[in-house]
Amino acid sequence: MSTKNVIELSNLTKTYQRGNASEVKAVDDVSLKVVDGEFLTILGPSGSGKTTLLNLIGGLDKPSEGTVILDGLDISKLTESELVKVRREKVGFVFQAFNLIPTFSALENVEAPLAPTKMPKNERIERSQELLWLMGLKQRADHLPAELSAGEQQRVAIARAFANKPTVLLLDEPTGNLDTKSGKKILELCHRASKEQGQTVVAVTHATYIRRYTDCLLFMRDGKLFSQIPQEEFEEAE
Amino acid sequence: MNPITYALREIRRRRYRTAVNIAGIVIAISTLITLVMAARGWETCTTVPLNSIGTDIILYYTAPLKPSGEGCYIVNHLFSYPFNQSMLNDFESVHEVERAVPILMHRLRAMVFTGIDPSETETNAVLPSSIIEGRYLKPDDRYVAIIDKEYAALMNLTLGSTVNYAADFEVVGIVDVSATNIMKSHIYVNLQAVQEVLPEQPIGLVNMALIRTNSPDTVKQAAAVLEERWPDTRTITGSDLAETASGLIQINEETAWSISIALAVITILFTAKSQLGNVAERTREIGILKAIGWSNGNVVNQIVTESLMQGAIGGILGCILGYIFASYVLFTIGGELGGALKFVSVDPVLLGVGLVIALGSGVVAGLLASVRAARLEPVKAIRTI
Ligand SMILES: Nc1ncnc2c1ncn2[C@@H]1O[C@H](COP(=O)(O)OP(=O)(O)OP(=O)(O)O)[C@@H](O)[C@H]1O
Ligand SMILES: [Mg+2]
Repeated sequence: MSTKNVIELSNLTKTYQRGNASEVKAVDDVSLKVVDGEFLTILGPSGSGKTTLLNLIGGLDKPSEGTVILDGLDISKLTESELVKVRREKVGFVFQAFNLIPTFSALENVEAPLAPTKMPKNERIERSQELLWLMGLKQRADHLPAELSAGEQQRVAIARAFANKPTVLLLDEPTGNLDTKSGKKILELCHRASKEQGQTVVAVTHATYIRRYTDCLLFMRDGKLFSQIPQEEFEEAE
Repeated sequence: MNPITYALREIRRRRYRTAVNIAGIVIAISTLITLVMAARGWETCTTVPLNSIGTDIILYYTAPLKPSGEGCYIVNHLFSYPFNQSMLNDFESVHEVERAVPILMHRLRAMVFTGIDPSETETNAVLPSSIIEGRYLKPDDRYVAIIDKEYAALMNLTLGSTVNYAADFEVVGIVDVSATNIMKSHIYVNLQAVQEVLPEQPIGLVNMALIRTNSPDTVKQAAAVLEERWPDTRTITGSDLAETASGLIQINEETAWSISIALAVITILFTAKSQLGNVAERTREIGILKAIGWSNGNVVNQIVTESLMQGAIGGILGCILGYIFASYVLFTIGGELGGALKFVSVDPVLLGVGLVIALGSGVVAGLLASVRAARLEPVKAIRTI
């Protein structure tokens, strides 16, 4: 495994204004390096800043302070069209609330990130079918999201995140809304896919069983990252 | 997923909004076509009845020539007071007037008996082109006549028959004259013969002049000058005729276009407003697409495709409806004026222009709405639940 840093965060801070009085530091002075092919998991309670952190890494949000370097590119220095290119080519996102397009079939949802690329139509469809097959959704390709179970929707979202063969895969609560058994199945799939295709993965969750599938585990609270996991975090889950 | 498939799905998903947008475009386009065609029809109505006899103005007198003719038999049986044929030369001295043609029209009960100068073959109460049997009158003809087709059929008259109207005339020709021709008569003979045979012989007198102007644009001007210089004369122009026909939409083509363009602008704004609402409803969806790598260009392309398709559907329906309305309006006007509008049909170029305007409104409305989509930040969009 190479030791190239795919993600480098230094002193990353994101401050939100609440009303006019208080400020919230959703991400507070986070520095982190993730090497190529690594599967990193960040555990943290609700409101700790996990989604905010992923959005900053994926170039969806701009930091208040500090820098994000993604595959050698300083995200905050990119123009809008360069950012589009990063999102299109380097990042695969699984959003917290699935966020599938309701009018697209499962197959079309997986194809959506490829639609604006130069990839020919038949290749796009082939790739999307292959990913659905990998996620065990071969029979569901023509179904609309509303016709799929929560777990199936989640797997479509993961297939979509893999579609553009991203350098980094950002998973926001990939097992949220799923029972433990389906959650584990999803994580297994993600883990296998990332190992087979060489993706760097950052997953955030509060599901503690994720640690079995991860190379590295960090803990987040009040916007800050810790390498020590408080023992009480595991009690309820296991 | 191509933009058209996606657009079709969005159109189906938002049926009500789409229907309202399309209805707006349909109204604008069908109004455009109907108004413009009605305006053109009206313009045709104002020119065809007189143009079919090659004249622009019919001139007559309202007061008798003094002192002769007052209260006499002939005045009661003429359509208007007689005047001296030599006046025609005076009328021709008006700058806008090119030719003044003499007519002496007499009626007895339901019969109309008209004297014409057969050497006038461009402007006359009846033109050589109306002949369907036999021949037209010649300047040296004396007691010969040409008669109307329907009159011939009614009276069983053929070429060589004799008709009597103050004297006997031999039928040498039969004419087919449209009911819109206000000079339509039963019998036409040489002017001189009419002047000789009427009971109180109006030698040297006529009672109407058909006036041809030097250009279609000077008709109004010529009529005004004639009435001003000869205060006892009255003129009838094509537009006077059309005004007497009821139920006409009296607008000119320019006004029709102005109204239509105003309507098109309102439609664009209305569609844009509606598309803005559409974008707002789809905030989350558009945000997701941007978050997974769609550029603003891709999103704008999508929204414009959608509203362009609405424009296309609205444009096609608008053209069809406009065609139906316009045909109906032309038919109605045509009915009023007895077929003058058989010369007017709905202009395919106008339908094309209507379609282009509809597509244009679609594009403009889509572009206006997509400004909002372009401003939309993906992070905010995905947090909207
Ligand atoms: N747009 C915003 N404006 C103001 N505050 C915000 C905004 N977005 C997030 N926050 C705040 O930032 C903090 C971190 O939010 P974030 O969504 O990153 O938490 P999280 O760890 O993903 O939580 P969860 O596990 O519930 O998804 C929260 O206190 C939240 O209220
Ligand atoms: Mg979150």
